[in-house]
Amino acid sequence: MSIQPTLPEPIRARLSGEPLFSVKTDLSSDGRFGDLWFAVTDQEVTLWDADGEPSFRLDVTELSEARAVGGIGGGTLLADTAGGPVVIARYTAALSSAFGFAAKLITALAKQEELPAVSEKEFPRYCPSCGNPLAEGTQSCPICKSKGKVLFRMLRYAKPYKAQMAAAVVLLMLTTVIELVPPYLTKIMIDDVLQPKNTGSALLWVVLGLGLTSLVMSVMQTVRGLIGVWVGSKLMGDLRNDIYTALMRLSLAFFDRRQTSQFVGRINSDSESMRQFMTDGVIWVSGESLRVVAIFVIMFGLDWRLTLFALIPMPFMVLVSLTMWPKIGRRWYQQWRSIFRLNVLVGDSLQGIRVVKAFGQEQTEMSRYSTANRELVRNNIRIEGLWQGMFPLFSFVAGIGTLLIWYNGGSSVIRGDLQLGVLMALIAYLGMLFGPLQWVSQMINWASHALASADRVFEIMDTPSDVPDARDPHPIGTIRGDVVFERVSYGYEKHHPVLKDVNLKVKAGEMIGLVGHSGAGKSTFINLICRFYDTDEGRIAIDGTDLRSISQTDLRKQIGVVLQETFLFDGTIAENIAYSKPDATPEEIMRAAKIANAHDFIVRLPDGYDTRVGERGHRLSGGEKQRVSIARAIIHDPRILILDEATASVDTETERQIQEAISRLVKGRTTFAIAHRLSTLRNADRLVVLDKGKIVEVGTHEELLAIEGGAYRKLVDAQKELSKIKGVEG
Amino acid sequence: MSGDLYDIRIFEPKDVMFSRGTGGVFQGVLDGKPYPELVVYRAFPFLYTTQYLSIRDAKGEELGIVRDLRELDEESAKELEQELQFRYFLPRVTRVDSVKQKSDLWIWELQTTLGPTRIAMRNLHEFMQFPGGNRIILTDINGKRCEIADWQALDSRSRQQLTDVV
Repeated sequence: MSIQPTLPEPIRARLSGEPLFSVKTDLSSDGRFGDLWFAVTDQEVTLWDADGEPSFRLDVTELSEARAVGGIGGGTLLADTAGGPVVIARYTAALSSAFGFAAKLITALAKQEELPAVSEKEFPRYCPSCGNPLAEGTQSCPICKSKGKVLFRMLRYAKPYKAQMAAAVVLLMLTTVIELVPPYLTKIMIDDVLQPKNTGSALLWVVLGLGLTSLVMSVMQTVRGLIGVWVGSKLMGDLRNDIYTALMRLSLAFFDRRQTSQFVGRINSDSESMRQFMTDGVIWVSGESLRVVAIFVIMFGLDWRLTLFALIPMPFMVLVSLTMWPKIGRRWYQQWRSIFRLNVLVGDSLQGIRVVKAFGQEQTEMSRYSTANRELVRNNIRIEGLWQGMFPLFSFVAGIGTLLIWYNGGSSVIRGDLQLGVLMALIAYLGMLFGPLQWVSQMINWASHALASADRVFEIMDTPSDVPDARDPHPIGTIRGDVVFERVSYGYEKHHPVLKDVNLKVKAGEMIGLVGHSGAGKSTFINLICRFYDTDEGRIAIDGTDLRSISQTDLRKQIGVVLQETFLFDGTIAENIAYSKPDATPEEIMRAAKIANAHDFIVRLPDGYDTRVGERGHRLSGGEKQRVSIARAIIHDPRILILDEATASVDTETERQIQEAISRLVKGRTTFAIAHRLSTLRNADRLVVLDKGKIVEVGTHEELLAIEGGAYRKLVDAQKELSKIKGVEG
Repeated sequence: MSGDLYDIRIFEPKDVMFSRGTGGVFQGVLDGKPYPELVVYRAFPFLYTTQYLSIRDAKGEELGIVRDLRELDEESAKELEQELQFRYFLPRVTRVDSVKQKSDLWIWELQTTLGPTRIAMRNLHEFMQFPGGNRIILTDINGKRCEIADWQALDSRSRQQLTDVV
């Protein structure tokens, strides 16, 4: 199914030939919003205004190249002609991909090269029925999707517990019915016992009846409460699990763009508000609605005319509820956002607490916090205040109904048309309606809170992974370790490629050193091997199998990483070493540590291998942590090893120890190493020099050094210069 | 290594002249040298929209900085301003017609300095930015951006639309 609007027929008819590519741009040439059609045929590049009149035309033979020049929030398609560059069309960021492709296509036409194939991915996608943008990777439009869907999806979580929930509802119904008995007994007491001054045993029986009903009610309430707690806790557990699973499934790219501390709050508070709605909410709704119906039935039975008075305020309350509903939802969201901002702030400053302290910026951080805090307080007051104002208003309005009954019923009693007991019962039942009334506003509150939470939770769950697992993964078993890059291009933001057209063949067991300036694409290079991201163009193959068709679990089993920033999990050193192989024996752990040059220092620690390393392993030095993480890679026994600046932040002696450990580690494995100090890479079989995302030189240290004016030589010279300066300083 | 390389080059207003080529491309003469294609970057896109403008050649190499657009001659200033508008596509919102949440999208109907438009956001906490003051940057799912320079200064109806989202 194509969701792309097609070129209108009148324009098509006026083209010189079949359009190879067409797209509707959203900016006119003066940079204002406007719809124009852009079309390319094999002879010309054209632009048409909204009325189907041509507004620009350029012959393919006139131009030498076309470029999509990205701006901020938009861009320009330029053509280079003999007379200088020419603006073809302008567009907003939504169309960057489409015009990026257009530029390639026009260039290929001009140079008479093979034409690139167009894919749906290039176009922004809009819902065919409502015209709103569609998220990547989905076909369903969130707007056209029915509103109740979120609600139903949320309620699905309650499904496994439907038996218990049904029991709770039944109990609630019974309590409701029983609750209605006492006022009726009171009526009997007044009309049949107290007023006729009946001295028989009737009084005792009525009182006993009252006692019995309250006993049964308490028992049932207790049971119902317990069921509620049980179901609620289970439900919340399920929800938290699902959210966490969804988070773990997401690709690194998702987390790159977000501050991670926000998710802590999401997992906990969002699942709590959903739980509250589903257990308390659902059970209450069913119980209380029943109660309302029952009360009205009894009241109508007692005196239907008086009951009508009680109904007078109802339309008003319904109206108010309906108008308040969206407002409350928005304010909840607003309040949530201020908590969110506060959390992000705290997460940020605590993660960077060293920097904060080092620069003595506690005051600034505190004032930043209090600003955000004030905002939260303000929003809290706004939502809670709205909420606190609503219930008394409702009570007051409902109270008007009571007053009417008092007045009209009272005069009936005086006239002798109505028994006193009936009036008292009516008033009592009306009082009971306040419960459900409170529920109406409480329910509005819960439901809107829960729906907002559910929206955010499902948003995480619905975010497609950027690196989806193959549907039918290719089993790879134990690999040899050949790695091939074929015309690989990748950019964290599309059309800003960080790696461009990279070709490289690496034999199993070879050690490759990646060198280049910072920002040259070294880290991206290894991120692609780990498949943290998928290539935009071209492919990477391991032993001839495309990475994309290998399941990620299989792939990760074969790849080991030692990163610059070593992260040790909360746990013992032994647990950290055995992270990727939880069933490792103590000997295996020690062997790995020995190879990593870590065994000695670990054993010397008072707690040995059982030393707890806290969050981020604070009790170990940088070099020690690094060696633990090398041991972690060794025990994993990967066929492909990735070393990212493994020795960047340690002193020379530690570096030597780590170097030694690494040289033992790389034996027989395909290794990709990035190092800041070029001397670290002297063991590499080949060095790959990257510059601005392209491979510029490949060869051994000696070969590359021999190239006069070569990129590698320049790097080495620059570093020598630097160490000289350092030597002087030292 | 000359010291110049590590210094910021600030253009004197008399050394620069900007114009628009016949093909509609921004060009100019800098220090007497003509460039058929120039690109302009804002160094402080939020704080100083018409000051500290980095002028670069088609390859992206910085040629120098224009300290303030207003110091330039009329024609150059006009073209530079126009180019900024093209490159930094950030229409300023003049009126907020409506902000509605439809299922899980927030739809904004806006009037801007560059014509009416509509923005769709997945949520507010990631797609609305508050760079300071009463300024708001709105980002569309597809990356389109609009700016509200001062939301307090909008007309009362617009402000009302914003009350529960700001």
